[in-house]
Amino acid sequence: MQRSGRADLTSFLNRDSTRGIVIQGVTLALVLALIAYLGSNAAYNLDRLGMMFGFDFLSSTAGFDISWSLIPYDPSMTYWRVFLVGITNTLVLAFNVILFGTIIGTVVGILRLSSNPLVALLARSYVEVVRNVPLLIQIIFWFTAVFSTLPPPRRGYALGDLFFLNNRGFYFPSPHSDVSFLWFAGAIVVFVGAAWLLYRKARATRFHQTGNRKVVRTGWFIWAVALVLACIIGNGFVEWSIPALDGFNLEGGQYVPVAFGAAFVAMTVYRSAAIAESVRAGMESIDRGQHEAARTIGFSRYQMLRLILIPQAIRAIIPPLANSWLVAVKDSSLAVAIGFPELVSVFMQTSINQTGRAIEIISMVMGFYILVSLIISYLLNQYNARVQYKVM
Amino acid sequence: MNSDAQLKRFVPSPARKPKDSEMTVLRWIRSRCFNSVGNSILTLLVLGLVFYVLDYALNWAVFDAVWHASNRRECMDISPGGACWAGVIDWFNGLMYGRYPIEEQWRVNLGVVLAVAWLLPLSCRSLAHRSLMLVSWIALYPFLGAWLFLGGGFGAETGPFHAILTSLAAGFMAMCYVNWLLAMLKRPSLTDIIYPLVARFVARQTHIFSLLLVWLVFSGVAGGLLSQVALAPVAIERWGGLFLTLIIASFAITMSIPIGVLLALGRRSKLPVIHWLCLLIIELVRAVPLITVLFMAVTLLPIFLPSDMELNKLSQVLCAVCLFAGAYMAENIRGGLQAIPRGQYEAAQTLGLGYWMTMLLIILPQALRLMIPNIMTSFISILKDTTLVSIIGLFDIMLMARNIANDKNWIGLHTEPLAMISILFFVMCYGMSQYSINLEKRLKVDR
Repeated sequence: MQRSGRADLTSFLNRDSTRGIVIQGVTLALVLALIAYLGSNAAYNLDRLGMMFGFDFLSSTAGFDISWSLIPYDPSMTYWRVFLVGITNTLVLAFNVILFGTIIGTVVGILRLSSNPLVALLARSYVEVVRNVPLLIQIIFWFTAVFSTLPPPRRGYALGDLFFLNNRGFYFPSPHSDVSFLWFAGAIVVFVGAAWLLYRKARATRFHQTGNRKVVRTGWFIWAVALVLACIIGNGFVEWSIPALDGFNLEGGQYVPVAFGAAFVAMTVYRSAAIAESVRAGMESIDRGQHEAARTIGFSRYQMLRLILIPQAIRAIIPPLANSWLVAVKDSSLAVAIGFPELVSVFMQTSINQTGRAIEIISMVMGFYILVSLIISYLLNQYNARVQYKVM
Repeated sequence: MNSDAQLKRFVPSPARKPKDSEMTVLRWIRSRCFNSVGNSILTLLVLGLVFYVLDYALNWAVFDAVWHASNRRECMDISPGGACWAGVIDWFNGLMYGRYPIEEQWRVNLGVVLAVAWLLPLSCRSLAHRSLMLVSWIALYPFLGAWLFLGGGFGAETGPFHAILTSLAAGFMAMCYVNWLLAMLKRPSLTDIIYPLVARFVARQTHIFSLLLVWLVFSGVAGGLLSQVALAPVAIERWGGLFLTLIIASFAITMSIPIGVLLALGRRSKLPVIHWLCLLIIELVRAVPLITVLFMAVTLLPIFLPSDMELNKLSQVLCAVCLFAGAYMAENIRGGLQAIPRGQYEAAQTLGLGYWMTMLLIILPQALRLMIPNIMTSFISILKDTTLVSIIGLFDIMLMARNIANDKNWIGLHTEPLAMISILFFVMCYGMSQYSINLEKRLKVDR
């Protein structure tokens, strides 16, 4: 039987590989055309509005003040510095939210599984109420209804003349020293690191070979002693600056503004509810048989949790937990609504208004968030690969 | 062997009933709440906390609250420790409709009623083309709604294309209702009535042609009627309040599904260009906060679009929110696609179905159904995320609520409006999550 050229062509056109190439080629051409089109529009519009493109503005003086920053900043510094201030402020907020949110969330998640129905119900109500009200409303609520109504410094709340809370912010003692911060960090890393290595070694030899639990306790003890020692020695080089009332304001120490407080409290509460749900789901994902088996071999409740349940639950908890941390970093951008000077606020709002370099600034801000998300998902993947069940 | 027969059979003695004293409510409470010292303390602490919070909240919100006053000072004079709901009541209209002119607000109400009414015929299971009703709700209703909300002469301001689609929408809805009525009266539908007539001229796909014919006739009539109606134009800038929040949320929710499906299918595609393109879009959008996407839409879209094309802020925001919601939805749908066993793909191929048919008829229905809880969770977060548009200056319910504190009569009234919209959001989101749990249970029973 003879095939005509036409049939050949049809079968060639209908082949999967041909179609694939055509579809991909068309898509690629369309995407490139779209990019070229948008680019030419941008070039024309920028030209028309007399704007420029380039990152040279980063080295020019910013000229505006930022209400609070962790790293030193004054208006004579550059836009690059503004970017760094925004990043550090964002990270400080996100770090605190992650830390406290994880602790509270874990507690609430475990309380939700309590055998006491009242406790479980309370934990459930907390989670449901917090989860179903938008975060932005909660942030603004804490800011306007709670933190802004705090009394002025003269009548503010004080805890042992060390910590102060008033309508300017939260004041706490801060260390000052002639010795560089890096030395302190280095010392702590060396002390704790050495103790940890010793402990690991002891554990690997003595505990795993003999099953003698004493060495584990000794290890914890060495570790704690090392930490205390590092702190005591470090303290010798440090002078503590303690906030004290001076006229209408507090002098000395370090402070965070009320906007930070409101954002921190709202985001911590919100995050803890989400984390509580992951913890609960993780704990519930363990088969009931595991509880029963642990009881059967005579484990105590603590041993059951420590040796059977938590090691298994943690595999189910860590991925959503890491995702929650990532969301916490992204959510910290909502603090812009109450004027906390984080990245979006100082860079995306103020700096764009000042310089008009929208394309550059937006890509830098997005780049930062993408970088954070890449780092967290990389760490998560590493962790997942480590804790996966090893199949023999 | 006869020793078997001699073996004593084990006969369990019947279980004794628990003593009456062991079954009372008190007993249960004691066994669960007061079974140890620690648990008892915990119970008492919880009870104390609940009592304290409820006492405070009820006193503030109900017993000491002021419902009628003309300004905040008056509220303070009547009851300094209570909520001043009078301000919220005073601004209630603004919270619901924004600055939409009061005499035109019936159009908003009508639009919402129509949106719900559009779906009512779905409850009649004997009606044909039920999926078409759902699709038309997504594809056609927005045009009818936009005409209602925007107003202006029919087709005069929004263009003839929009006028045609609006009449198609109105015609479709009218046709559905007539068919629904006929179905309830146990009569054949309009399509069936004209079927023999159409069959004389068209041999193939007669049913679809009859449907189209009926629809076009209805649309023509509807268009003719609508063109006689002149609605006062209302600028988009005047839209606001809950109305705007619901527009943004429902638009994002309905668009997120098709965008999510396309992105998810693209990400699972074997063609590298498509795969990487979709992966890039999904991951980039998911890596950044919504607020940066919104800022990008507001500041960058005017730069990247032709200078003569002016988008209003609402459309910029809608673009951003749809992209964002679509990327998140794509990951949900991808999860569903991955959960479908290979056998389903192979079976579809064996039947000779092509890629799109396999996806539309076999894979996606199962994947979407599997993912209903996650999809609903996404819907809830979209609804919550719409509050972010207030940061870039759209007068949604959030910004309206914040604005009350700037009214000279209600200066500094922050807490009450926020409490009110918190309750509103809680009711909507909690309702959605409970509905999703309900739906999940029902669908599990189906299988």
